[in-house]
Amino acid sequence: MKVVLQNLTKIFPSRNKKAGGEVVAVNDFTFEIPDGKLIGLLGPSGCGKSTTLYMISGLQKPTGGKIFFGDDDVTELSTENRGIGLVFQNYALYPHLTVKQNILVPLQNLKGENKLSKQEMLERAYEVARLVQIDELMDRKPGELSGGQQQRVAIARALVKMPRVLLLDEPLSNLDARLRLQTREEIRRIQRETGITTVFVTHDQEEAMSISDMIVVMKLGVVQQTGKPQEVYDNPTNLFVAKFLGTPPINVFNGSIKGGKLFLGDSAVLDVPELEDRENVYVGIRPEGFVVDPNGPLSCDLSSLEVMGRDVSVVSRHAASINPVIRSIVDADNKIDPTSPTINYSLKRHKVFIFDGETEERIYFEV
Amino acid sequence: MVESKHKWKAWLYLSPAIILLLIFTVWPIINTVYMAFSEKYSMMEAFTGKQFTIGFGNFEHVLVKSVGTVGSDFFRALGNTAILCVITVPLSTILALLIAVCLNSIKPLQKLLQTIFFLPYVTNSIAIGMVFAAMFQVIGMAPDGSEAISWGLINEFLKVFGVDSIDWLGSTDGDYWANITVMVVYIVWNALPFKILVLLGGLQGINKQYYEAARVDSTSKFRVFRKITVPLLSPMISYVVITSFIGGFKEYSSIVGVFGEDMNGGRLNTMVGYIYTNIEKKQGYASAAALVLFVIIFIVTMINLYVSKKKTHY
Amino acid sequence: MSDINNTPETDVQETSAELNVTDVQETPGKPTITTMQEIDVQKTSQKQSVFKILGKIAIYTFLIVMAIITIFPFYWMIISSLKTAEEFRAVVPTLFPQMMDAANYTEVFDTSVRDFDILRLFTNTVIVGIVSTLLSLVITIFSAFAFARLEFKGKNALFAALLATMMIPGELFTVTNYVTVNYFGWLNTYTVLIVPFLVSVFYIYLLKQNFMQIPNELYLAAKVDGTGDFKYLCKVMIPLALPSIISITILKMMGAWNSYMWPRLVNTNPDYHLITNGLRNASFTAAEGNIPDTPVQMAAVALVSLPLFLVFIFLRKYIMKGVSRSGIKG
Repeated sequence: MKVVLQNLTKIFPSRNKKAGGEVVAVNDFTFEIPDGKLIGLLGPSGCGKSTTLYMISGLQKPTGGKIFFGDDDVTELSTENRGIGLVFQNYALYPHLTVKQNILVPLQNLKGENKLSKQEMLERAYEVARLVQIDELMDRKPGELSGGQQQRVAIARALVKMPRVLLLDEPLSNLDARLRLQTREEIRRIQRETGITTVFVTHDQEEAMSISDMIVVMKLGVVQQTGKPQEVYDNPTNLFVAKFLGTPPINVFNGSIKGGKLFLGDSAVLDVPELEDRENVYVGIRPEGFVVDPNGPLSCDLSSLEVMGRDVSVVSRHAASINPVIRSIVDADNKIDPTSPTINYSLKRHKVFIFDGETEERIYFEV
Repeated sequence: MVESKHKWKAWLYLSPAIILLLIFTVWPIINTVYMAFSEKYSMMEAFTGKQFTIGFGNFEHVLVKSVGTVGSDFFRALGNTAILCVITVPLSTILALLIAVCLNSIKPLQKLLQTIFFLPYVTNSIAIGMVFAAMFQVIGMAPDGSEAISWGLINEFLKVFGVDSIDWLGSTDGDYWANITVMVVYIVWNALPFKILVLLGGLQGINKQYYEAARVDSTSKFRVFRKITVPLLSPMISYVVITSFIGGFKEYSSIVGVFGEDMNGGRLNTMVGYIYTNIEKKQGYASAAALVLFVIIFIVTMINLYVSKKKTHY
Repeated sequence: MSDINNTPETDVQETSAELNVTDVQETPGKPTITTMQEIDVQKTSQKQSVFKILGKIAIYTFLIVMAIITIFPFYWMIISSLKTAEEFRAVVPTLFPQMMDAANYTEVFDTSVRDFDILRLFTNTVIVGIVSTLLSLVITIFSAFAFARLEFKGKNALFAALLATMMIPGELFTVTNYVTVNYFGWLNTYTVLIVPFLVSVFYIYLLKQNFMQIPNELYLAAKVDGTGDFKYLCKVMIPLALPSIISITILKMMGAWNSYMWPRLVNTNPDYHLITNGLRNASFTAAEGNIPDTPVQMAAVALVSLPLFLVFIFLRKYIMKGVSRSGIKG
């Protein structure tokens, strides 16, 4: 089932009644979610990603725009009639019901021709329980389960009625780091096996990048960029997206362009013959975009080295850097003298992005 | 919150409560005020269509004319109520605080003692009032008060401490303070469970770390009580004081329990009792008295809130 | 100065010493920590344990004396009910009956002796208690649900108005309600004991608070699953708020068991009297004169108190929970 969002807008009245006014949570969101894909809605808190998810679920009504499931306009359809499954951030399992009873609730609510016999319900419940591997826990209560197990139960409950669309609200945020890795693989597997169009919301870019077919990066209610995770990472359209994706985060510098050369401070680091002169630009360089080169044009003060086995993380400083320190990831084969006061880099062209100093939009150059 | 189109549904869920509240809560507020200002209002006359003069006649009757009448003196009722309040509220609060602090500091027997202390709550104030009467009872007193078959349990107990026998429940003028003493004992006994429960709950809610910190600083126990326990418990204490003042002003059935409906010839009547004695015939007077009671409770509560705001630490 | 390390169990005596320390510490730049090293550990710890034991003894003594005072009336009620009238009137009261006798209890049930039909009074009270509790629960649950989970205009204002009525003493309502039930012709019925008190703002408040603690996500999840409001209320909210609902049920039943003034006012016909009215009205006097027959009265009182004690023993937890949030008796 493909999901189409057309000019979707949500405006809340402002919380502060005295000040009046409104808060635009989602502004003119248009996007098509292809059938059977896993989509990550990504952004910092307050960017409108959860609101978007809730509008798809029908729990919130859009102020403007339309939502289509396939070719059906579902904008006015209430939640229970949309045939969606939703996994809440804190799972929202009924604490007084067993796992089995929790999973059965959506089936018991089916009406008319969809109504199932008790036997069929149980079969369906066990089937989905096996899919998420909780069939051993069916008679326990949610309070007796670990966070990861509760998460699976929540997914099972959302899946059991075979929803047309599965929605996950920050599905991994309540899990510890190890479980998070495991569970995201699990979500990926379940999504692949069921082929259900799935939208999930997260503020963790790594999480979104690692399992999504496509990601949507949002900021203050406005979509910044959509695309395959690697494409967005490699080609951010603005400074915000560039900063938001990637760990360690991108290094940002104040720069300028003079005579076809990109300057960071006084050092000309890159040839950009096709660009006109500009006083102020932002320059983003991915940590992996630095190459240790004794004759490199970018000379930085070396602060420390963090050996991570295959790679070395180099912490250094430069006057033009906006971040307090520059973090680069270089191959451990580079022999760097930790006592040396400076380190020189040359840069990989395709890991360097230039952004307008005012609009923060990307300024493209030949790679 | 879900945005639902069916807003009328909420009103459907609320309708039984709202209808009943309109009849038995909202209407009474309006009508009681009306009756209080309708001079000599009487229900029976009102049903026949009689109109009443609007004025302060009922208040005049309650506050001025009733003075000195036997058994229906408003100020006597107010005085009794105030005396009981002023004595029992501090007494029961301090006692409850002591018991709660002690209970909180012990481990063995804590649950059992807590249960025992709560027991008086689950009682019928009329029924147990009769038990108190039986304990203080003097049986077979001669008319001149000189002799009795039995001076009763309490007198017998006090004799051990060399106290002369007292006619606790007697109705002569000289026995008034004896009567009040009986009521004070009963009311305090009855009021303790709730207060202990609330205060103990508050004590158990205080973060243990404050006490541990105090221990590390070698603060004395008395100082801990004054500087940590009482301030942190002050919201609970003021809650308990306010509710017991309100309860105290509504004292009635416990007195009926001990002294009977006659209340020793009306001598021990209270504000609520005053309202009830007028309610059947003279609703105008009863309404006026009820309004006066409301104003008094309101003022006392405001004073309490003001004081506790000054004393409460958060 | 070694006093300062004394156990906190000790009291007034060392308060002064301790105060001094504080004073010194308040003067800046004068460290007093050095004294801590001069503690005679053995002596202090001996002193410490003596104080500790003495303190405990004092606390237990106080608590046990208070506990005895607290339960003594119940004890007196029971032993008096087992005494003969003669023994009760003895010059020196006995703390334990010389001869246990249940005759007083059989006399309580004998309607020919006095106008006290305990079985009918019990029945009336139970009918009024059960009916009013059930209806009241339904109303309370519906209202609390609307306030806790549904959205409608004027919700907050309405709820604030309800809370404000809790400030007004009940007697103010009683006067008009007496007129109203007269007007309705409800005197001497069960209705008059039930209907006027079905709505309790306090219980609505209590349950609403409890409902609000149930995460909103559960409600949203139910919406997603296609569970309707009513089904959600019955299947999720009520089970989750059950402890509060049980507390309300018990307090409401206790209210019926203890109500005295209103029934006396509106039901003059003894056929509709409740237990407390019957108990207070009955004259427990011995046949041979005007001397009170207290043992029979105590037997009646014990019988009236018995159901409350049973409820207390089995449902103590819920009562104490409900009460600690209320302050309303009956």
